[in-house]
Amino acid sequence: MDWAGDQLRQIEATRRQRLDESAPKMDDSKASTLLENFHPDFKGLERLVQVGPQAGKLKCLSEIAELLEADSPLPAVFEPSPTLETDVLVVGGGGAGLAAALTLQNSGLQVTVATKLRIGDANTLMAEGGIQAAVGSNDSPRRHYADTVVGGHGKNVPELVRLLVEEARPAIDWLTQLGVHFGRTEKGYELKPGGGTSTPRVLSCQDVTGLEIMRVLRDAVFHGPAQLLEGHSAVELCDDGEGRVTGAVLWNSEAKELVTVSARAVLLATGGSGQLRLQGFATSNHLGATGDGLVLAWRQGCSLVHLDSFQYHPTGSVFPEAIAGQLVTESARSMGAQLLNAEGKRFIDELSYRDRVAAAIIREVSEGRGVTTPAGRQGVWLDTPLIDKRQGEGTLARQFPGMIHRFKKYGIDPSTQPLLVYPTLHYQNGGVAIDQEARTEREGLWAAGEVTGGLHGTNRLMGNSLLDIIVFGRRAGESIISNIKDRGPVTLSALSRFRKERETVSGLSQQKAPQLYPTVSGMKFELKQAPLEKPGDDSFSQQGSAGGSSFEPPDPFSAR
Amino acid sequence: MKNNPETKTVQITVAGKPMEAREGQTIVHALWQAGMASEVMTGCLGGVCGACTVSVRYPDGRKGGTELACLHQVEEGMQVFPFPVDPIPTKPPVKEPDAAKLREAYPTLDRCTKCESCTYACPMDIPVMDSVLRMQKGEVEQVAQDFTTCIHCGLCRAVCEDKVEPHQMGMWVRRSLGQSLPNMTPQEEPEGEAEREWGYLMEGTLEQRLERARQFRTQESLNSLEDSKE
Ligand SMILES: Cc1cc2nc3c(=O)[nH]c(=O)nc-3n(C[C@H](O)[C@H](O)[C@H](O)COP(=O)(O)OP(=O)(O)OC[C@H]3O[C@@H](n4cnc5c(N)ncnc54)[C@H](O)[C@@H]3O)c2cc1C
Ligand code: SF4
Ligand code: SF4
Ligand code: FES
Repeated sequence: MDWAGDQLRQIEATRRQRLDESAPKMDDSKASTLLENFHPDFKGLERLVQVGPQAGKLKCLSEIAELLEADSPLPAVFEPSPTLETDVLVVGGGGAGLAAALTLQNSGLQVTVATKLRIGDANTLMAEGGIQAAVGSNDSPRRHYADTVVGGHGKNVPELVRLLVEEARPAIDWLTQLGVHFGRTEKGYELKPGGGTSTPRVLSCQDVTGLEIMRVLRDAVFHGPAQLLEGHSAVELCDDGEGRVTGAVLWNSEAKELVTVSARAVLLATGGSGQLRLQGFATSNHLGATGDGLVLAWRQGCSLVHLDSFQYHPTGSVFPEAIAGQLVTESARSMGAQLLNAEGKRFIDELSYRDRVAAAIIREVSEGRGVTTPAGRQGVWLDTPLIDKRQGEGTLARQFPGMIHRFKKYGIDPSTQPLLVYPTLHYQNGGVAIDQEARTEREGLWAAGEVTGGLHGTNRLMGNSLLDIIVFGRRAGESIISNIKDRGPVTLSALSRFRKERETVSGLSQQKAPQLYPTVSGMKFELKQAPLEKPGDDSFSQQGSAGGSSFEPPDPFSAR
Repeated sequence: MKNNPETKTVQITVAGKPMEAREGQTIVHALWQAGMASEVMTGCLGGVCGACTVSVRYPDGRKGGTELACLHQVEEGMQVFPFPVDPIPTKPPVKEPDAAKLREAYPTLDRCTKCESCTYACPMDIPVMDSVLRMQKGEVEQVAQDFTTCIHCGLCRAVCEDKVEPHQMGMWVRRSLGQSLPNMTPQEEPEGEAEREWGYLMEGTLEQRLERARQFRTQESLNSLEDSKE
């Protein structure tokens, strides 16, 4: 980071003095002005969606609106005829999906998990900071509730929040029994504060909490009876023609074929939408986070809530360019790292709510107090060396092995050098409306995890999402066991209705949805041409699929 | 940023196919830009899922090796070869793991010839071979620690000529130990007080509830909140 030499020296020079400085305070009315002026949710780039269950009522970013209005990628002539029958189809092999699959394990129901990439290639795996649960001595589920509701601007659905916080302890116990290691002291679980927690409440496995949880859930599912369909993305849900969801059409990305599944219950656990890279923001999310679940549920007539609100995590990396957008966990701030503008000054309480911190960073940059990288990105400093100064030498290396490893590749040592950060598109606060049993408004369709909305209001607290996926994933599994119905006919009648409705509206974009992959990736939903249609043309199957090349990899150690 | 004139372009090959990339880009982003995304399997884009394993060779004879394509930057002349590793099933974890139980689950443990290929292959800098030796001695706590950041990319297994499965054993040790730890969540407190607090927090209009939540979070309980107001 030679290009920033002067600033780095200044930050170093003031570090001692800043160590004991109290954070800049801000009252609530100032905070509202800050949000309205600088948070991306308030940019006024929203419009009403014109097609679908809440047409003319649902207001959201125009990028999301286009997605919801888009036509299905399914050919108009496509007739669903199930080639696969199962009792429960879980769509999405992240944390919520697998928590449900494990809960269904001994129910006697046949469970099929279909997921876009490989099982576990999901946002869950990427979570770093931790999971909230009121297990501390001066804590209670009510206090957790109060923090969550204040964080969500009071818009959270109270009953969902109550369930979340009351089921937190059983969720932690369940994970521990499965073999998840949460950090411990002699007295109990080690607890960290998080932005907006009034008392330390975040359990973690160093800075790889999501990796640990996902690894364990995946391994447990591998040992169970569930059928796993990797590389199978849902492109449409099927229904019985009378409003009940009865299956799905999946796209097998390897064979480039469509597969229709008949199921007695379907669980949507497709996660979020960071890869839509709304408003040009970089993202912390995995490849598959393209908001597919919203589209699938929408076309079945489900309401979406709080979709006007996304979480821009305050500290996405800005430098080096190669990892722009990737997360620097909030724990860095909870352990003492400060945010500094180009003048080396603090400008916000680092442990305030995420939306406030993000808005404050955007303010600094847009008012000219940001730092510009050689690649032209802008950001502010996150003074990570303070962590060791405050908590003792070696703390950063011990608590943040993931962060150390990631930056070391580029010659940056966060324990001696500050990092450059800017908000990154991180979490879909809103989503498909559910009740306390994780049921959507459509019979036969459940939803759990980041794809749902209501629980977090319009701002989610750190650590509440990992808790969400375990609590509601398990809840969905239990609810399916007690409410599952007999098999029904598998039709595309909801899609036909949607397509008819589209014809009544003019000026809709040509986009297809769900889009499955980030548009910047150039990966596409492309059906293999049926061999009979065009003999001799196998250009589709020739496109190299992952690992399908004919080149032998060299011995990676020959040079040693 | 795409048009930044200062960004240099470099030539690389992926699976033998030549392509142009921008200096500083990761292999994955370079593939995206070239419309060749499906050459290398991709999952998290953040170095934690292990989908994007490749091996890399440099024309100038520098030591190449296995890398994660989503984290590794392109360089002039670099040759990239997709190196996907299929996962294999693990053995079920057991309570109170030790060396004997590990050997029973993974009899290949003692086949290790200390060639160190696994350690070189690991993109997470895990001291894989050392940890295998610790497994042989039954130092399970330390082994669990060693594998904390293991992304299960499988490279250590793929390069092991002696069919040792370090990461699988690491997972087995971690899960087995984890399951042997006691639950430490506290029991719920007396019913009555909790219900009173729930009533206080959940009733009323949105504004009322929000204001109550604001006050409540500064206190441990409704009792102390009421005391503080007196
Ligand atoms: C970098 C990062 C750090 C985070 N840190 C924390 C943290 O510290 N604490 C916390 O509580 N939360 C954190 N979060 C948020 C949290 O990890 C996620 O919100 C949560 O794990 C989502 O779980 P999920 O099961 O709903 O979705 P995911 O885990 O994303 O799983 C969804 C799965 O569905 C698949 N899928 C998508 N579309 C389709 C389709 N059409 N058909 C089939 N499959 C599909 C996806 O590929 C994926 O495998 C973090 C998130 C990120 C990205
Ligand atoms: S590669 Fe196999 S044989 Fe070589 S050190 Fe590792 S475990 Fe032992
Ligand atoms: S230990 Fe093996 S599986 Fe784990 S990260 Fe290292 S090489 Fe990959
Ligand atoms: S894509 Fe997950 S490690 Fe590279």
